Amino acid sequence: MTQKFKTRRAGDLTRRSILKGAAGTAVLAAGSSLLAMPAIAQARSIKIGSYGGYFEDSFKKFVYPAFTEATGITVESVTQPNSSDWLVTMQQAAASGTVPADVSLYGKDTMIKATRIGEMLKPLDASKIPGVTNLDAEFLYEGPDGLVGVGSMAWFNAMVINPNEVTPAPTSWKEFWENPAYEGSLGISKKIDGRLLDITAKTFFDGAETLMTEDGIVAVLDKVAELKPHVALWWSAESQMEQAMKNEDVIAGSYYLDVANIMASDGFPIKPLFPVEGNPIGYGSWCLSPLSEKTGEAYEFMAFSSDPATQALMSRNIGTAPLVNRELTDLTDEEFAFVSGSPIITPAYESYLDNETFIKERWDAMLAGA
Amino acid sequence: MSDLATASYLAQADNETRLNKTLRPPFDVVHRFSAQSIIMTTIAAILLFVFLSPILLVVAVSFGEKIEGASWVWAFDPSNYARVFVGIGWPDEITLLYAYKLGYTLAYAVLGSLIAIAFAFPFTYFLSQCSRPVQAAWLVFILASLSMSEVFIVMGWDIMLSNRSGLPALFKATGVTEWLKETGWLAVLKDWGLANPRNVKFKTSQMATVLTMAYLVWPYAVILLYAPLSRIDRSMIEAARTMGAGSFTVMRTVIVPVVRIPVMGTLLLLFVYLLGAYVTVTYFAEPAHQTLPVSIYEAIRGATLNAPFGAAQAVVLLSTAGVFIFASLWLSRLAEKRGR
Repeated sequence: MTQKFKTRRAGDLTRRSILKGAAGTAVLAAGSSLLAMPAIAQARSIKIGSYGGYFEDSFKKFVYPAFTEATGITVESVTQPNSSDWLVTMQQAAASGTVPADVSLYGKDTMIKATRIGEMLKPLDASKIPGVTNLDAEFLYEGPDGLVGVGSMAWFNAMVINPNEVTPAPTSWKEFWENPAYEGSLGISKKIDGRLLDITAKTFFDGAETLMTEDGIVAVLDKVAELKPHVALWWSAESQMEQAMKNEDVIAGSYYLDVANIMASDGFPIKPLFPVEGNPIGYGSWCLSPLSEKTGEAYEFMAFSSDPATQALMSRNIGTAPLVNRELTDLTDEEFAFVSGSPIITPAYESYLDNETFIKERWDAMLAGA
Repeated sequence: MSDLATASYLAQADNETRLNKTLRPPFDVVHRFSAQSIIMTTIAAILLFVFLSPILLVVAVSFGEKIEGASWVWAFDPSNYARVFVGIGWPDEITLLYAYKLGYTLAYAVLGSLIAIAFAFPFTYFLSQCSRPVQAAWLVFILASLSMSEVFIVMGWDIMLSNRSGLPALFKATGVTEWLKETGWLAVLKDWGLANPRNVKFKTSQMATVLTMAYLVWPYAVILLYAPLSRIDRSMIEAARTMGAGSFTVMRTVIVPVVRIPVMGTLLLLFVYLLGAYVTVTYFAEPAHQTLPVSIYEAIRGATLNAPFGAAQAVVLLSTAGVFIFASLWLSRLAEKRGR
């Protein structure tokens, strides 16, 4: 009796789930055909990735509409958590044959890594991207198969302070190490590519050169370890540092120049500075997925992005530094100072990749005091 | 076997066959039975596949080989496990970095679940003595609070412990900070990592980490303890009382022995749950006191793209958790035997 009951119930469940499944499939099929129709009717579109949050919102609000107006190509914005995580996503997507984004935004180290992994970036034909010559040559990244990345914008990891709490303003990164007022008060990026190594190398050693050898890396890490008692927050997400500055849990540290400026204009107590050693620069590049069928659209977008007018548009609305000669843009002195500065600390990208595991473990061990 | 024995054996076997033939169920029952066993086998196979394949995949990935500056490839490279125990510099030098991380993972999980139970046990005991409507209201509230994710809870605690909006602001406003400065206690707190030159600070600290973890699992503790505590036979407590036992004696000699097995089970469940806590640790623990799950995440999703090393750490964490659970089950069974 029990057997019978069980069997019947099992049968019922199967039937019901089959019916449910069938209904679901029908809805999906109807939905996708509805979705597909306008795509066919609408001539041209492209999926472009950028870092989620304020950054992506500004792209959607200011840059993409201008691009659509200029070319008639509509942009579907794709949220990237950041550069390196997105590479994992794109790698998994490529394995399954999908294209989450035609064009992705990668930092330089991620881009080098992608070329080393292989078949992650589609070689680009520079002759089909008019205006790309506006960019400084160092922002056009060539892999073994030729051009694979077209620079999009630059950003700085600047020194920031709370001007109400820190007076006078520091003029050198050294003060973070030496002034006891910073005890338990700094907010510093916890990531190995958060650029503290580059700052330390430039401030106390011979800069990027020192980071090229294992002995140099160990020496720089020992110096970083001396800063630990002054760090209240080792942040791993941008929002952590934002909150900590707003709440005054930290009174100084390193943070993105663009976000710091925006926070300051919103009235929060934060002031970015360029100390004598300078601030580390980073830049993003547009890269095309090899599985994308939108090469033409991608070229048009890269050309649009390389245009001095677009570079100025991004500086004004997103707070990033232009990658074209400043004279080509119509940015005022004040506007330029808002997004850029000098001197510049260039990160030791190659060393981060060649000594990847070594740096990561030594960095973690330094943080853990192990 | 002798001939006689063989003959008797064969006869017996023959008899059995005949018996089986006469007792053989009608065709449809056999059919139904085998159909059912096919379904059961299929379900079991699917379950095995669904539950085991991710674990097997993690084990397989853990033997992968990392390519410096790029990603990783499939291989049979046990060095990832060696790195978990002695670090990358072995055999020239040894670092116990990951062992420390494992230690913190276990310590936080044990402390967090113990504190949660310490607060949940008396609460649930008194709750089980309340009237039905009061119990129902509390249980609904606690069940609803389970829908809050770790992220929300951490956000709430973050605000509570913040300099301008939380406890430190309260300290400052009420003059406690000034008093601490004058009496020199602030310097002591600074040595403990609980202050900066301007005010007290509670993050990042191990205290904040453990308390948030305890808070995170407290509702689970109440729900898990509610059933055994509300089933306790009141007459036993009354009997103990009439014989002159005080509240503490009743708790110690009647209530705790009755519910010690469910309490142990709850403790294990909370412990396992807390082993995987990620957001709490990244927000409230300084890097020196962070746990293996954070390190696993950084290896897999971070800039190094070292999934094999992340997987190796995950396997070690899983095995350690397994050992702990089996050990505590074995200990409680041993205690049970002794008790008898």
